[in-house]
Amino acid sequence: MGSNTTEKALSMLRFLPRVCLSNIRPHPNSRIRDKRGRGQHGGDKHGCGNKGSGQRQNYMRLGYETGNNPFYLRFPHEPYYQRHHLRREYPPVSLLQLLKFIELNRIDHTKPIDLVSVVNTGLYKLLPDQRQYGIQLTDEGADVFNLKINIEVQYATEVVIAAIEKAGGVITTAYYDQHSLQCMLNTKKFFERGVPIPKRMMPPPDAIEYYSDPAKRGYLADPDKISEERLVLAQKYGYSLPEIEKDPSYDMLTERKDPRQIFYGLHPGWVVNLRDKAILKPQDEELLKYYAN
Amino acid sequence: MMSETVPKLRTCLLAIRKFSTAPPKVPVESRQLAFPPKYQKPRQAWLENFDTIEEKKLGIIDLHPEIFAANPRIDIIQENVRWQSLYRYVSYAHTKSRFEVRGGGRKPWPQKGLGRARHGSIRSPLFRGGGVIHGPKSPTPHFYMLPYYSRVHGLTSTLSVKLAQDDLHIIMNLEIPTDEPNFIEELVRSRNWGPSVLFVDDVDIMPRNITAATDKIKHFNLMPVYGLNVYSMLKHDTLVLTRAAVDLLELKLLTSLHKNDVKPCAEKFKLNQV
Repeated sequence: MGSNTTEKALSMLRFLPRVCLSNIRPHPNSRIRDKRGRGQHGGDKHGCGNKGSGQRQNYMRLGYETGNNPFYLRFPHEPYYQRHHLRREYPPVSLLQLLKFIELNRIDHTKPIDLVSVVNTGLYKLLPDQRQYGIQLTDEGADVFNLKINIEVQYATEVVIAAIEKAGGVITTAYYDQHSLQCMLNTKKFFERGVPIPKRMMPPPDAIEYYSDPAKRGYLADPDKISEERLVLAQKYGYSLPEIEKDPSYDMLTERKDPRQIFYGLHPGWVVNLRDKAILKPQDEELLKYYAN
Repeated sequence: MMSETVPKLRTCLLAIRKFSTAPPKVPVESRQLAFPPKYQKPRQAWLENFDTIEEKKLGIIDLHPEIFAANPRIDIIQENVRWQSLYRYVSYAHTKSRFEVRGGGRKPWPQKGLGRARHGSIRSPLFRGGGVIHGPKSPTPHFYMLPYYSRVHGLTSTLSVKLAQDDLHIIMNLEIPTDEPNFIEELVRSRNWGPSVLFVDDVDIMPRNITAATDKIKHFNLMPVYGLNVYSMLKHDTLVLTRAAVDLLELKLLTSLHKNDVKPCAEKFKLNQV
């Protein structure tokens, strides 16, 4: 737009007849009219050829070789995809993408970053019902990542953890069950439903090891062991660990969610009323007991 | 010869200037663009009065080039017009197949022995009064949704075409002194606005006088900004926008052009979803 072409077209239009309903037309040949042929021979076979399964559309089933031992059964196979429908999937976000989101003001990095803030960019799609369980932070852009952030992801490799901690930030890996993920996908829609924020479930048995491992910065790991592992990683990758204690944004960097908490600042059992801008908290003893543990 | 004609022309021009209705000095009304373009110059248009038959230029205002000097894509305009006329069109043409036509269960004459062609039913498509093969069935909806940006660019293209062809006029507001239709008819005639005129305001409650004056005239129509569409703009020769309508239109279209969450806009109209 604003190019020479546009200017030229607009200045030409000044001397052309008025554009109206009767003189507009599409680009030549842009509409392909897919019509059944008619007439003596035009309607003969409709492109389906003469006789056989092509004409009658009764093809053999896929892989069938008319009595031969079919190719797909001829050799033994390795079950690469066994149980794949039960495995957890973590769609990736790279460090470079994260950097871009922050620099383009899609994410506010002066606050803790979690799945909600990444989903709210509109540039990350998550389908929990297809066993996608959150963000996998990948190491593309690890060399250039230089922002001090407090991020919570669902899966991260050692290099990614090192890149974030080298820049003075902190990373946590945390598990969210499907129900919690559904609440986080469209926060506004969830709050408008007027139901209490659910309790985050504990990870399943095969994931509990990962999320309580201090080397993976799991959210169930002992904080003392995590600070030990931070030092170990710094020595392994050869950088000096920036001291968080003396950092001006110490409060932001040390903010963590409770293992039962889904949203920062909101606890399970609360109801957020967007219209009245009020938060309703449970009073009943039984409810308090339920959400407390 | 030139030395003779140039002074004559000069006197002639002076004489014309004497009879000109334009005020000697036009106050340039400054209009701050809400989102000034970075690389393009704003388009400019006259701001005209609407309360007298004689045209008075009230000033020059800036128009956003992304809206009023966009690439005039005639093909996108045509797509929009086609979509607008098709999406609510339902074809009620209906024909019956050979099995839906009444009768025809009996073999009309024996297979052999008569010297006639063999037939099994008098409602065969070969027969007069027989069924129709692949005929139209009622109701056939023709609804489809044009992609979001085709719709937005359709509007910007049409507005740009209208401005480029001097068919777009901008007025202060729709206030006229009388509710007589003669006034508005005379105004349109004297200003050489096309026979059909579309007046666009920002809200759908228009001043009483213009509503009463244009009520009986079928080729003068009033429309709020939210109803503005490609078909109506092309159907009317001249488009007249109020100052407030220009502001709102620019805001809406720039928002649509630069929004970063366009996905939900398109998703609402997805068809054939399982």
